[in-house]
Amino acid sequence: MQKVFITGMGAISSIGSTVDEHLNSLRSGKCGIQTAKYFQSKYAQNLVFGEVPFSDEQLRQRNNVASKKDFTRTTVLALNAFNEAIIQAGISLEVLKSDKTAFISSSTVGGMCYTDELYSDANLKDIPSNYARSYEGSDHTWRITEMFEIGGIVDTINTACSSSANAIYLGARLIQTGRADRVVVGGADSIAKYTVNGFNSLMILSDQACRPFDENRNGLSLGEGAAYLVLESEDAARNKFKIAELNGFGNSNDAFHPSTISENAIGPILSMELALQMTGITPDLIDYINAHGTGTLNNDLTETLALNTVFENVPPYNSTKSYTGHTLAAAGSLESILAILSLNNDELYQSLRCESPINTHQSRPIFEFVKKNLNYVMSNSFGFGGNCTSLIFSKCI
Amino acid sequence: MYLKDVYSISPQVTHTDEFINGNYKIYSKNILSVIEPSYSEMIPASLLRRMGKAVRMGIGAALPLIERHEKLNGIVIGTANGGLENCINFLNQIIEYDEGVLTPTHFVQSTPNALAGQLALMSKNTGYNVTHVNGPLAFENAILDAMMFLEGATNKTALLLGAVEEISNYNYNIDLIAGRYKSDYIDNNKLITSQTKGSICGEGSTMFIVSNDANNALAKLINLKQINYPNEIDLEYLLNQFLFENDLKTEDIDLLILGNNGDVQFDSWYTLLKSFFSSKKEYVYYKNFVGEYRTSSAFALYFATQLLKGRIHHKGIEGDVSSIPKIILIYNQFEGIHHSFILVQSVV
Repeated sequence: MQKVFITGMGAISSIGSTVDEHLNSLRSGKCGIQTAKYFQSKYAQNLVFGEVPFSDEQLRQRNNVASKKDFTRTTVLALNAFNEAIIQAGISLEVLKSDKTAFISSSTVGGMCYTDELYSDANLKDIPSNYARSYEGSDHTWRITEMFEIGGIVDTINTACSSSANAIYLGARLIQTGRADRVVVGGADSIAKYTVNGFNSLMILSDQACRPFDENRNGLSLGEGAAYLVLESEDAARNKFKIAELNGFGNSNDAFHPSTISENAIGPILSMELALQMTGITPDLIDYINAHGTGTLNNDLTETLALNTVFENVPPYNSTKSYTGHTLAAAGSLESILAILSLNNDELYQSLRCESPINTHQSRPIFEFVKKNLNYVMSNSFGFGGNCTSLIFSKCI
Repeated sequence: MYLKDVYSISPQVTHTDEFINGNYKIYSKNILSVIEPSYSEMIPASLLRRMGKAVRMGIGAALPLIERHEKLNGIVIGTANGGLENCINFLNQIIEYDEGVLTPTHFVQSTPNALAGQLALMSKNTGYNVTHVNGPLAFENAILDAMMFLEGATNKTALLLGAVEEISNYNYNIDLIAGRYKSDYIDNNKLITSQTKGSICGEGSTMFIVSNDANNALAKLINLKQINYPNEIDLEYLLNQFLFENDLKTEDIDLLILGNNGDVQFDSWYTLLKSFFSSKKEYVYYKNFVGEYRTSSAFALYFATQLLKGRIHHKGIEGDVSSIPKIILIYNQFEGIHHSFILVQSVV
């Protein structure tokens, strides 16, 4: 079976519009969660968001698609990160057209980010909006596929908050089974009235920037962004700089409740164990975990239990959602990239705003920036519908 | 990969043998709604009340299979849009109550992975669980996922694989303004020859049990291929390449199942595909029974399993199936942009 290497990465979120800017923000502890500038909603004033600091127009201009009025915010965020990833991996336009180049994206809100236009179009209230053909979850995937004439297998995943972690998983399977030589994988989501009101109706939005793993946490902060990785087979990556190797992945379902995780953490434990099993290493070899760590009462308590069940000595862990907010479908790929930044720089970044850690167990999230030699890192993503996915990456340098 | 079992809920009576026996429903409207079995014996009433249509029919099609096949290793679902009615109901509340206090039921039910999650929950299945939402290729991607999961797996490994799509007034409206439906009413049995723009809208859920075990299988799914944004001049090459990769030639195909939907703008793709085969090649349509929807190829695959088993002697609009086919090619396309080939073979 072909090994799977990462040869390119691209990311945009509230803490940076390039991977390098993300690294700087992590090192300096810069949080992107604040009052929204561009998001229009009743909640824009009294809640805080990890908003990408550009208007839709600015995002279109930055990506040279100013004329594409039917491109949604989700699509242009995706395009921004996609471009960065393929440039770093040195994937030419010609190579993108190959039937051995695949693209697997993911989104939860997709083209529904324009809630008011969708309301009008779905209820035939007015003349059709610019976005009448842009609402589907797969819309951003197809816009990018068409632009770059991607020649291989194309897919879009929605497993809620673990969506892009599963895009990574499936991309790796395409390479392992010989169906693709390279796959661009990841996800994109933008802040929308739809998700803000949805999470608000579940009463799991924090009124201040989220405090993952803190005793006094009171919910998540919604973020937005996009993140893509270029995965390549050993043969395709032969003469390239390999950023990291994807060693293992585990996918399970918690089978407990539509919108919360079980108290005994069945799904999270299983996904981590499956990823370790596939990697063929014992738990003690994991040097760092980028936790799902949403900041909700339910997730962080359950994840703490899961970590303490799988690991005798829980490795250093943090929630980078304390920087970016919860970027939903983009979270799995964005946090994989942030975990790889830790790995390759031998750096552990502070989990922000965890002042009095959950005390059900001895484990504590990383409380200050430290240098440490890292070889294997894990990224966890758990979503509504019980969808749990864990990924393990290792160093190539 | 073998198709071990199937259950289909569609605008035809497919949950009993009525459709197989040739009793076809004729609709004189452009929205073909599913005919649902009674769920009361399989789904608790309290749960049923809260379920949106997509989740309900998905569960209705899956539960009989889950009961017949214990210890499934996972659930793979394809749906372009999931529970759209719940989704837009929630959206309507956001706008009409000016982002006031809302109940979360619609929101939680609207996520496309709600069905796979609910199925895992109801069958206590902690295994593999993925939902593909890739528009008109969502079910094809789910098939591919299941095939990759089973590669290298034991004969005992089995998955639930399926698709669901629901009609609501909302997605009907959205596709209507996008020009995807006919402006005049036609009977569904006149769909294929309608010669006007747009199609008619359908919905449905078809579920399969798949594994590597050929024993008592309904059919073998040989392989599939997706093609996006092709030129017409490339179709013949792409077809021959796909058949070649599977050690087949056009003459090996006994029957074509074609996704014609009566849209005069795009049905020429099917005429083109037919031209690569002998003029005597038999073919059947399926959207005249169920209408157009993003994951209709799951119904086509159900149809294929019944044809391969000789359970249907289908009298199509233009041709009959003279003998029981051994190898079927399903060809479907969406607006000339997204195309798929699925090869299915009988199991002796």
